[in-house]
Formats: sequence, structure tokens, C-alpha cells
Amino acid sequence: MKKLLSLFYTLVLLAGLSTVAKAADPIRIPVLNWSSQIVMANVMAQAFEELGYEAELVPAESATRYEAVRVGELHVAHETWESTMALPFYAAMDKGGLIDAGSHDLITFEEMGVPNWVIEEGLCPGLPSWEALKSPECAANFATPDSEGKGRWLEGPYEWHTEVMPNRLKGLGIDDLWMVKFAGTADALWAELEAAKKEGRGTIIFNWSPNFTDAAGFTFIDFPPYFEGCRLENGGTLETTGCGSPKGWLKKAAHIKFPITHTSAYKFYTKMEFTAPNIGEMANYVDNEGMTHAEAATAYIANNRDQIDLFMK
Amino acid sequence: MSPTISCSSVYKIFGNNAQTLLSESGGNVDAKKFQEAGCIVGVNNASFDVNQGEMLVVMGLSGSGKSTLLRCISRLTDATSGKILIDGEDICLMNSKQLIELRREKMGMVFQNFALLPHKTVLENIAFPLQVKGVTTENSIHKALEMVELVGLKGRENYFPRELSGGQQQRVGIARSLAVEPDIWFLDEPFSALDPLIRKEMQDEFLRLQSVLNKTIMFVTHDFDEALRLADRIAIMKDGIIEQLDKPDNIVLNPATDYVRKFTEDVPREKVLKIESIMDASDPNASGEIAVKKDDIIETVAEKILNSKDTIKVVDEKNSVVGSINPSKVIKVLFGE
Amino acid sequence: MNKNYLDIIRSSKPAQFGILLIIFLFLYHFIPQNEGNYFWRLPSLLAFIPIKLNEIIYAALYEWFPLKVYDPIFEMYEEKAAFREFTKSISKGLLFLITFVRELLLGGDKIIDIFVSDAWLKENDWMSWPALPWTAATVGAFLLGYQLGGFRLALLGGIGSLYVSIFGNWVPSIQTLSFVLITTPICFVLGLSFGIWGYLDKKVETALQPVLNVMQTMPQFAYLVPIIALFGLGDHAGSIATIVIATPPMIRNTILGLKRISPEVVEAGLMSGCTKRQLLFKVLIPTARRDILNGVNTVIMQCLAMVVIASFVGAKGLGLNLKVALNSLKIGKAAEAGFCIVLIAVILDRFTKAWANKQVDYFENLTFFERYKLLIIFGTSILIFSVVAFIANGYFDKINYLYVIPIEKGLTFAHYIDAAVDWVWDTFFYSLNSFNKFLLTQVLGPMKKAYLGMPVAATLTLTMGIAYIIGGIRTCLLVGGMMLFIAMSKYWDRALITMYMATFAVIMASLNGIIVGSIFAQTQRGSKFILSVCDFFETFPSFVYLIPVIFLFNITDTSVLIAAIVYATVPATRYTVWGLNSVPTSLHEAGTMSGVSRMQRWTNIEIPLAFPTIMLGVNQTVVFTLQMVILGALIGTEDLGQLIFGALSRAQDGPGVAITLGLFVSLMAISVDVIVRKWAEERKKALGLD
Repeated sequence: MKKLLSLFYTLVLLAGLSTVAKAADPIRIPVLNWSSQIVMANVMAQAFEELGYEAELVPAESATRYEAVRVGELHVAHETWESTMALPFYAAMDKGGLIDAGSHDLITFEEMGVPNWVIEEGLCPGLPSWEALKSPECAANFATPDSEGKGRWLEGPYEWHTEVMPNRLKGLGIDDLWMVKFAGTADALWAELEAAKKEGRGTIIFNWSPNFTDAAGFTFIDFPPYFEGCRLENGGTLETTGCGSPKGWLKKAAHIKFPITHTSAYKFYTKMEFTAPNIGEMANYVDNEGMTHAEAATAYIANNRDQIDLFMK
Repeated sequence: MSPTISCSSVYKIFGNNAQTLLSESGGNVDAKKFQEAGCIVGVNNASFDVNQGEMLVVMGLSGSGKSTLLRCISRLTDATSGKILIDGEDICLMNSKQLIELRREKMGMVFQNFALLPHKTVLENIAFPLQVKGVTTENSIHKALEMVELVGLKGRENYFPRELSGGQQQRVGIARSLAVEPDIWFLDEPFSALDPLIRKEMQDEFLRLQSVLNKTIMFVTHDFDEALRLADRIAIMKDGIIEQLDKPDNIVLNPATDYVRKFTEDVPREKVLKIESIMDASDPNASGEIAVKKDDIIETVAEKILNSKDTIKVVDEKNSVVGSINPSKVIKVLFGE
Repeated sequence: MNKNYLDIIRSSKPAQFGILLIIFLFLYHFIPQNEGNYFWRLPSLLAFIPIKLNEIIYAALYEWFPLKVYDPIFEMYEEKAAFREFTKSISKGLLFLITFVRELLLGGDKIIDIFVSDAWLKENDWMSWPALPWTAATVGAFLLGYQLGGFRLALLGGIGSLYVSIFGNWVPSIQTLSFVLITTPICFVLGLSFGIWGYLDKKVETALQPVLNVMQTMPQFAYLVPIIALFGLGDHAGSIATIVIATPPMIRNTILGLKRISPEVVEAGLMSGCTKRQLLFKVLIPTARRDILNGVNTVIMQCLAMVVIASFVGAKGLGLNLKVALNSLKIGKAAEAGFCIVLIAVILDRFTKAWANKQVDYFENLTFFERYKLLIIFGTSILIFSVVAFIANGYFDKINYLYVIPIEKGLTFAHYIDAAVDWVWDTFFYSLNSFNKFLLTQVLGPMKKAYLGMPVAATLTLTMGIAYIIGGIRTCLLVGGMMLFIAMSKYWDRALITMYMATFAVIMASLNGIIVGSIFAQTQRGSKFILSVCDFFETFPSFVYLIPVIFLFNITDTSVLIAAIVYATVPATRYTVWGLNSVPTSLHEAGTMSGVSRMQRWTNIEIPLAFPTIMLGVNQTVVFTLQMVILGALIGTEDLGQLIFGALSRAQDGPGVAITLGLFVSLMAISVDVIVRKWAEERKKALGLD
């Protein structure tokens, strides 16, 4: 036992002192908690390995990963949604250490909306136009016990857009009929959607497109069009802050040294521009066909060899 | 031959500035004054010797400083001042290495609440002092088995302390303290936590062991009867001071202070006194058939003496006559003046 | 006459509480609620703290003691802060250890990779440690259990790993196990060392107490960002986060255990001739073993309870799988992962206990074969099963089921759980819905309003008053200081919401716990049963029921509170059972002899005597509740928790804010702790216990 232990200590010591030359550190790719993101991480890992690198998948949290990229703990953050993640993304960039490695080939849209049955059952006649929300009868259908008689908007976590939605209610002049409740996580949003679906009750929640979690049966509400500077926090006025959401990007972030330490991997990464159907395919393998994330990635690469080859050039 | 244990002017005073207070007092310690200064006097100017093979019983009520004295001599606590010689070496001046050596070779101690290691079996507990010394497992276990037999616990080697009765646990404690074959044996109220019946049995056992082993013993107790039964000499302590140190019969016959007298008052003398203390040594030529030994306790031979009309001769170990005893003297002891 | 009244007040605590209440209500009513009135809300004089804290954290990360470090890729020297380099090397060591254990069981070449060059490894692709087939591992677990504790433990180990394997959780379970197997000993060694230090040096113990309090009560999410910055992402970071919370109970138990050793045992050790080292390792620590083992048990439980949170900073294994399953609302799948976590906890707990109690037989005289029987069987089974699995490679085309059963292919009972959730939902939805409505409009809503309508002067008077009546002036100042610290930040209103939720959940959980505990504590069997149920709920990840409560109660405070009550009932129940079990039987008998009914015995004898212990349980309930209320931010709350989670994504000032707010939560828990502990002590003294 003692001999074994001392052997082990020696090994640990050797590991610490080990100076064997390494071509490059493994590329560290964050794994979050939704399917498309994990499959994409696996696709990247397999592609990087093809390029001769080592890749490592690291469980991470969507909120904290920009700080991790900034300090070099992660090399990439490959699914960065404008509306929900722009704040930490730009904050990390400002502090230095994180760079913008371009966008995917798709347009994202994130907005308040309703499940289709809300419209079908006529819970709020006039939807998807926002004008329908002016009706007190409509608002009453969306009241919850803790909303003090007002209709409830279920927003994402507060840190996603902070005061945008409460301001929008004020800007539209319907804050006497509606209030904003912030959900804690995306998980909570899905749970609410699932619960509302089961009960067939009305709910107005924050959702986005493309959404690979619950793609079907959701309608966004039409708000007054967005324009640069319409929001109160971007210098807009109370009259204009009722504007809806902008079309957004899906960006890729990288650590500042990534282009130098892993040059051809970085080239692949900048060229890697997935489309909405691509990402849908990735999620589909896991969610509907029951593959593991790694299998799904292999299947995706096999199925889209041309596209991957193009990225690799 | 020099005494095995020799104490001179040993003080133990608890408190922050004990040292300075003691040196200021110049050895004249007044417990009350010290208490006002925030110090408690544990041992106050103790000086005595214990000879090779002798059993000194330190007797006193709780708080009298008897356990503290014992701990000073085993240096479980450091004496505030004084000299404590063990086989001529001052234990107070020893460094920790020497001290450990001394304890490993020469000392054994038995505790009131047994102080067995709960995670070790009987055998492991007894072997512990040996293993600490570096004796191999095999040898130590072998020795421990011998000790188990000596204290009469055969068959319970693999029991845990929690599975034993109090008396059995103390047997383990005794065996452990004897495992290294020490010269000096400390016993700190070893039988106080036991039932009266068991206590008597253990005392007998203890006397049997001592007759075989013949160790130098310091035995602490609060039980005067126990002290009388076991001791070669008794030291009676009160408030840290040794009130009297003498042979049991002398203490009973001539209590030095009122405090000691209180203990001796109710002691049936015939149960304590030996023939030697009442015999007439000036008349070594007494005739008669019957003889008693000078070390016999009066009670055990009283009948024999009273049944004879004449003076009876007293003999020593070698059967040579050393004195005589008159029945009237025995009657005096038994029924008073 | 006047003097008489004063005497009554001085001697009667109820009277004192009454007067305090009157003053409180008076203040509540007559202090006007307007900004700028310092009796209503204090100015945020301490608003600079989060910012300063943030600066300090980043200074430690990037500025303090810069070292020149050569970067071989950029071929230049870079300035790096010594502290971060230090933490990085710790990370490296930890990661090595975890990977080592992991690869030992799952196979791989990462450990080998550390010692050889990439090119060599690529050329020699046979150079990879082989995976242990799950069949052999099951035999191994069975034999290990047998060796440690006979047939019962063998069954536990064998069936446990069989279950984990055929339900497809083998790989994540081993990932989690390797994480725990490394983290637990570290907590153990750290806890033991600090515990010994604290035992030897009173000053150290005094200094440790507040630090331990904060470590144990601080919500884990508050320090996740600094951990990422210092230690990075990965299993090692998860391990660090776990060490923070799991070490304090180990330290406490060690100190407690060592202090309980009778001085005679120490003396016996000394007189046996022990050196200091021998005394420590052969006498003190083994004698304090019971308490130290309790500490180890707590460490194991905490490690496994932290598995999900550890996955937030990069730990792989069951926690991560659970989190991913929850995101797609697969509650059954998540619960399955949760069961594996509990199973690992139980096995580890029983195995370590058996190991610690193992007896040596000195009289056995065995042949070589007999002595190493089990090892030989294990070795043979590895060989056989590996060969079989290797041969089977040709038979299976894609997945070799004899090595690992992957999670999608394993057995599952997830759909039963999902069906059960659905059934509860279908059956109880309407009644629960109206219950929810009633609770929100009639109880929680008004309660929240009342808390938010409390002038700060009234709140401080009430808390400090209670502290004064129970614990005297020192306790009063301590509690007052802590509350003032929160009140002078700009987060007081948030803190009030946290307090409102915590108060409600603590009351409900305590009531539940006391009632459930009392019912089961009536018989010995009941006690044993309910205590193992408590063990289950303490290790079963609470994340799993965050989603079902949303189904049932929507995204409301009710959901958060229900989750908190379920979780926090555990300690209240546990301590109630302990307290009632410790009531001496003689008193039961005395009660029975005086002819009291069972109910009377409960109210008049058992509960009062068990009360001090129960109060310590309530203490724990407060800590558990606060943790869960903060975690409630994952559902959606408007209290401190929401800000703590929000701060995770704010690189500019996030860490500072998160830690400050986490500290606030700690201070609330500690305030309650100080008062309750004092109270329990006094009751104990009054009852002559201890």
C-alpha cells in the first residue's frame, strides 16, 4: 500500500514537472444545456480533430462563458444570440481578451409571443397585432394570482434585456393592464410553455426564432417596428420605446490568442457559418432520433461533407 | 540505595502568573492569598521519597491535589517548582525525547475511567504501548496475550472496550500499564469507578499482582479504607499539603492533625493495626506454645490470642521471637479503654 | 407599585417580547414611508463595497505580484499575476488527480499524454489505458463490499453498480465518482488539518468560526465567477466550489470530536510513551473517530449534493446530464441521474464507514491464495470479461455492450416518472391551482407587502430587540451590525423579499419537520426509516423538482417556496427525530406512570425536552431554505437571488456584486443562527441537559 502510494506521488510530481513539448493545448469548446449547441460543439470538435488538433468539450454556463473565453479558459463561444447575450459578449470584449469571429448565416428574432392555441381559442382577439393587447378583456385572460389583476408577460431572465420590456409596456401605454414577470432561466420558460399547452390557458412569453426546442405553434406579436435608437436606454423617448425587437445575429466569439495558437482551427471557425436548417438538423438528430450528441455530430458531418470541406479550405 | 522516586519542595500552582507569585512568596504559600491573585494551589511544598518496591498511597478528598501530585511526578503536568528525581534523575529537566524514553521504559499508569482507546480491541489496547515503542506487531501481540492471561481476561482478546464491564475494562487498563514491564506504576483512583463488590475483588487482584511483580507504586485514592488495605505508607493530602505521611498503623494510632483524626476516628483499629504495633518488644523471652506473627492484622488473630490465658509470643518472618503480647492489650484495642 | 411592574418585565421574557412587539408596531405605523426619511430607508452608504470588492478580485487576478512568464508560442515574456499562476497550478494538480481516477476506470490516454509527446502518442495508438468493462467493475464493487462489510455491503455494491450500468449511466456515474473520490479526501485532509489546528490553538478556532459560517451559508452561485476566473472551467473548478462548502462541516466535526476526548485518554497516550505525532494519529484522531466519521459522511453528502452546481463550472458527469435533461423538460431522465447520485452517496457512505470500522484478525494464518483470494477473483474477472468483451467487438457492429451501455441504449424507467408527474399534474392541477391562488392572494401577497412596508427602524428594532432579550447586549450588537450592513446597501428591499420568502418557508418546513419527525420517532423502526428518507432527500438534487413545481404552481413565489419547503423539511425532521430519541426512557416511563396520554406525553414531556435539539434543526432549516430561495432565481424571483444569478453574466462588476449579495444571505443566516443557538443553549441549561 505504501509503495503504491509513493509510486502515485511520484507520478503526480512528474506530471507537474512534465515539460514534454506539446504542439498546442487542446481547443476548449463550451457545452451548454441545449441540444443544438451541444451538437455544434461536437461538430466543431470533430472538425478540429480532422485538422490535427485536440479538442475538449467543457461543460459551461451560457452566462459565464464569455468571462471564461476572455481569460482564455475557453477558446470559443460558438452560439451567441444578439438579444440575450450581447451584453456579456460586449462587456467581455471591452475588457479585452475576447474577439468577434463573425456570425452564422442566419437571422435571429427574439420577441414576446403566444402559443397558437391562444389565437385559435380567441383568448385575445386581434392578435398577433399588439393593438389587441389594449383590451382589458384580453389582459384579464392572462392574469395570474400574483399579477394583481393585470395580464402577465413572462420575460426571460432580467439580465437578458433588463428594463426593455417594462419600458415597452409604458411606451405602448398599456402598463396599467399588463405587468412583466421575469423567468429565472430558459428552462423555466419552456416549463411555462409546456404547462400552458397542457392546460390550454393563455400565456404571453418571450421566445426566439429559430428555436430548436419548441419550433412549432408559436406566433410572435407584431409590435411597432424597431429602429436604431428607439429604445429608452439607447436614447429613445417614451413615445418610441414601445418598438419591437430588431432582427439579430448569431455570433461566434473567440479568445484573443486563438488565431495565433490554433491558426487553421481559427480559419475554420471564422468560415463556419451554419444556417437555420443546419442547426435544426443538428437538434433533430438528438431530440427526435435519439442519437447521442457525438453521434449526431458524426451524422451531421457525413450528411453535409461539402459544407464542412468548404469551411476547412 | 537511593529512593526510586524522590520529591523535594514540589509546588504546582495553576494560574497565569504562578511562577512570579511563587518566587515572591519564598516557598511560603498561602492558598487563600493565591486565590485572591487568581491562582489555585494544586500541590503545596510536597517532599517525600518512595523506595524501590514500596507502595505509597496518596489519599485525599477531591480537590486535595493528590491527582495533581501524581501528574507532576509522571510529568503529565509540569510542576511549578521543586525537584522530582526518578532513579536520581530530575524529571523536570528532561526534554521531551528523554521523557518519552522514560515513559516507554519505566512507567505505567492506570486511570480512574480506564482511558482505553475505543477503536482498539482488548489485545490492541494492551499492545499499544509496545507498538508505540516500535515493537513489531507480532511480538507486541504475543506479549499482550501474556498480559491478558495475567489479568484474567483470556477469551476476550478481541472484544472492544464498549463490550466489557467496568471491572473488565480496568483489567485491560492494568494490563496495558504493565505491558512494557515498568519499574514504576502509577494508579490514579483505579477502582473508584467500580461497584463496591467489584472494587473489593479488584483490590485483592491488585494485591496478588503486586506480590508477584513487586513494583514501585504510587496509588491515588479518596477511599481511606482502600488506602489502609493496600498501602505500605500513606500520604494524606488536604488543600495541596501533605498533612501526614506514615505507615497505616501509625496514622491510625497517632493522627498528626485534626483533619487526619477525622478519617481515623471511625476506623476499626483491629482491622488496621498489626500485632507489631501493640506488642511488648521489651520482653522477647515470652514463653508459651502459641505464637503469632508480628505482621498479622490484629483482627485475624484476635480469637487465637483471646482464647489463650497467657502472654503469647510474637515472631518475625524467620520465626525468631521478637516480643510478646498480652490478651488484655487486644481487648483494649477491640473494645476501647 | 411601579417597581413591581419593572420587576415583572425584567424577569418575564414573554412580557419583554410583548413590549418589543408593541414598540415595533408603533414604529411600523408611525414612520412615514417616504424616500429621504432615514427611519424608513437608510442611505446606501455602503454602495461602494461591491465595486471595491470587484476591483480587489481583479487586482488579485491580474495585477498583484506580477511575474514574468515566458510564452513559447508568442516568444515573448508576459506579465502574469502570481496569485493566478498559483491557482492555475492547483487546478492542474486537481485535474490530473480526477483524470487519473477517471481513466483508471473508463480508459483513455490523457494521463499518458502528459508524459509523452503528441507525435509519439499518435504513432503508438495502442498506448491507451483500456476501459474496465462494466461487468468486471460490478464484480469489483461486489468483492470490495464483501471485503469491507460482508454479504450485505457486497449486495449493495454489486446491485448498485449493476443498476448504474444497465440503466446506461455507467460513464457519467464514473465521471461523478472520480470527482467525488478526489474531492472528498481533499475536504477530509483540509478539514482534519484545520480542525486539529483549531483544537490545538483556541485563537485559531475563534478566528475560524465566522469564516466557516460564511463558507457554509454563502450561496454557491455567488462565487462561481471568481472561481472560473481563478481556476478556470472543468472538473477541478467544480471540485474547488465543492471544497468551499464541504470542508467546514469536516472542520467543525473534527474540533467537536477532539474536544470530546476525555483528558485521561490523552494522558494514557502520553504515559504509553507516544510522541506528539503518535499521540495525534494513534490516539486523538482514532478516539474522535465517531465525530470525524460523521464529518466524512457530511462531506460525501455535500459533494454529491454539489454535483449539479459543479457542472455550472465545468464538471462532467451525472450533474451535467441532469441539467441537460431538465432543459428539455425530461424530468424522468433527470430523476434517473438523481437516483444514481443518491446511490453513489449511499454506497460511498456505507463503504467508508465499514472501512473505518474494519477489524484486524491477528490469529489468522492464511496461505497466499486465501489472503489474496478476492484480489485474485477480481483480477481473473477483469481478464475474463475483458477478453469476452474484446471478442464481442466483432459481434456488435457499433456499440460494444459488454464494455459500456450508453445512456440512450440502457434500460430506463424515466417514462414512469414522467407519467407519475403527469398523473399528479392531471389529478391535482385544479385543486392545486385554487390553493395556489388562495396562497398568493391571501397569504404571500399580503406578507410580501407587509415586509416591504416595514420601515428600516422598525425592522432593526425588532431583530435587535429579539437578539437582546434572548442573548443579551453582545448578541444584540452583533445581529444589529450585520443587519445594518445589509440595510446600508442599496439592496435592502431585495433582502426584505428574500426574508419574506425565507420566513414563510422556514415556518412551514419546521412545522412539517416537527410533525413528521414526531410521528416517525415514536418507534425505533420509524426513526430509522425517516432518517434514511432524509438522507435521500438531502442528496437527491433539488434541481429536479424545480421544473415540476413550475408545472404545478406556475412561475410564482409559490413554486419557489414549495421547492424550498420540500428541501428544508429534511433538517427539521432529522433533528426532531434525534431530539425525541434522546429523551431518556426513564422520563417516558415516569410520564406513563403518571397516567398521561400519548398526546400529553408528546406535548408535555417529549417536545419540551427535545426542544433545544429541534431548535438546532430549525437553524439548519434556515440555511437550507435560504439556499433554495436563492436557487429559486432559476424559476424566477425578485430577491437577492435574481441579482446573484444576473451578476453571473456581468463581467464588469459581476463578481463583486455576487459576492456582496452572497454575503448578505450569509449574514441573514448567521443572525438567525446566533440567536437560535443562544436560545437553545439556554433552554438546555434550564432543562439540565448536557
